Amino acid sequence: MSKIVIQNLNKLYNANKPNAFYALKHINLSVEEGEIVILKGVSGSGKSTLLSLIGGLSKPSSGEILVNAQNIAKLPDIMSSAFRHTEIGFIFQSFNLLEGLSVYQNILAPLALTKLGKEAMHEKVSRAMQLVNIEHKKDQNVGSLSGGERQRCAIARAVVMEPEIILADEPTANLDKENALIFIEILKKFKALHKTVVIATHDTLFGGLDCIDRCVLMRDGELLQ
Amino acid sequence: MSIFLSNEIIVFLLIELILIVLMAISQVNIVSIVRHWDFDATTPLQYALEKKNYLVNTILYFTVTCKVILFLFFIQSLNSLAGIVPGAMCSAGVVGANHYGNALLLLKLLLIFGFGLWLIVNKLDLSSIIFPYLKRKYLLFTLLFIGVLGEFILEILYFSNIPLTVPVFCCSVVFQAPRLPFGYTQTLLVLFFYTLFGVIVLFNMLKQTMASFTCNLLFLFIAYYAITYFFGLYVYEMPNHKCPYCMLQKEYYYIGYLIWGSLFLGIFFGIMPFLIERITQKSYVYLLKYSSICLTITALICSFYVVRYYLMTGVFL
Repeated sequence: MSKIVIQNLNKLYNANKPNAFYALKHINLSVEEGEIVILKGVSGSGKSTLLSLIGGLSKPSSGEILVNAQNIAKLPDIMSSAFRHTEIGFIFQSFNLLEGLSVYQNILAPLALTKLGKEAMHEKVSRAMQLVNIEHKKDQNVGSLSGGERQRCAIARAVVMEPEIILADEPTANLDKENALIFIEILKKFKALHKTVVIATHDTLFGGLDCIDRCVLMRDGELLQ
Repeated sequence: MSIFLSNEIIVFLLIELILIVLMAISQVNIVSIVRHWDFDATTPLQYALEKKNYLVNTILYFTVTCKVILFLFFIQSLNSLAGIVPGAMCSAGVVGANHYGNALLLLKLLLIFGFGLWLIVNKLDLSSIIFPYLKRKYLLFTLLFIGVLGEFILEILYFSNIPLTVPVFCCSVVFQAPRLPFGYTQTLLVLFFYTLFGVIVLFNMLKQTMASFTCNLLFLFIAYYAITYFFGLYVYEMPNHKCPYCMLQKEYYYIGYLIWGSLFLGIFFGIMPFLIERITQKSYVYLLKYSSICLTITALICSFYVVRYYLMTGVFL
């Protein structure tokens, strides 16, 4: 069953202006449930734009993005936010953690918008921390964490709502090789949990991994394979 | 001195003008949205229209809310103008300074009800993914926009015809002239007031939206006359002071705001479920409960003044 279906997707920036350009051109892509897909390509090829469209962070100029058979490009802004909150886990290149808060508080943040009780919240946060092995740092301020730890904290926050889809934008760009390998171990756990994962990266580390189902190459806003 | 140079009128007309410009911009966009809207399409045009729709909704939500608040400012301004209009002791003199005043006030009230309806339909429309009431919502807004343009013309006519050298009639004349509508007596008015109030509460309990709509509209006029020509006398404790506005003043502890506010809110909640049903086929009968509560507040306050006066003096006015 297809989790994500993209049909004839275009994203035009600066429409009706002399500097108008297509960030995405006629994209057709289907991602199955539980599949891990890598979007490869150089900077400016449109990987991040595609991820932001799949995640409902921005709207396309034309075409469809069906997530669970619903065209999320048509969602009003308020519903788009709710969709992102419950269905999507985002892992950003720069982590986007809430500075000044502890690891636990950062991971708890998405749950604060739910009506869950304290116990249920604590259980979910603990599970997320276990998944990425960061329980021992739970009371530490995120400002004092290493790059790898910060990223694990960001991953835990992305999965704490238990989304079925996880989107990662250049997740290993700010990591050394040791921490990048830790990320790959976490990726294997996602595979075991049957999560649908789309990763935008130009890191060669992802090539030939068993847990990766497919690599898709992008260039100049087009899908090449 | 021109009345257009008074602070209240400058501020009021300037805000009105800004809101009209914003509404006109929205109206231009509404035409293109309604003409080309096809929610199922995934074309660049449709996505552009969806963005435009979001912008228009934001502007309209802001302007419509401002219009509702501006109504209160208008009422307050009328009170302040009594100081510069010769002969006017309260808003009665200012409103009655020419024959545009009462028409303007009635139009404003109807538009407020219309804006309230629009806000509810808009909320329903935005809470659904497919914008099911988009065209009806914008048709309703177009009608309201025409009303707003008419209101603005009426405002200009009204303000420019307020005489500042010739004394106007005010409560002094209202005092002497007990002009009851359709030849009603005070007893008949009060009887109608309480009977209709009881009938509305009953219909509201039975969730009869159409019956409640009809009775509420009727009650608006009956209650206006009953408050002005009967209950008002007990608020002012004067047998001939028949004025709907003086009770808004400090001397009467601003009780008029509560009386008229609860009355208009009660009427609004009473007529909305029927109109919403007509436009959206959605049930909003729970509003009838609020109608009953608000109208009960009106009836209780009005009755309180009569009972208090009787207990204090042993007679009715």
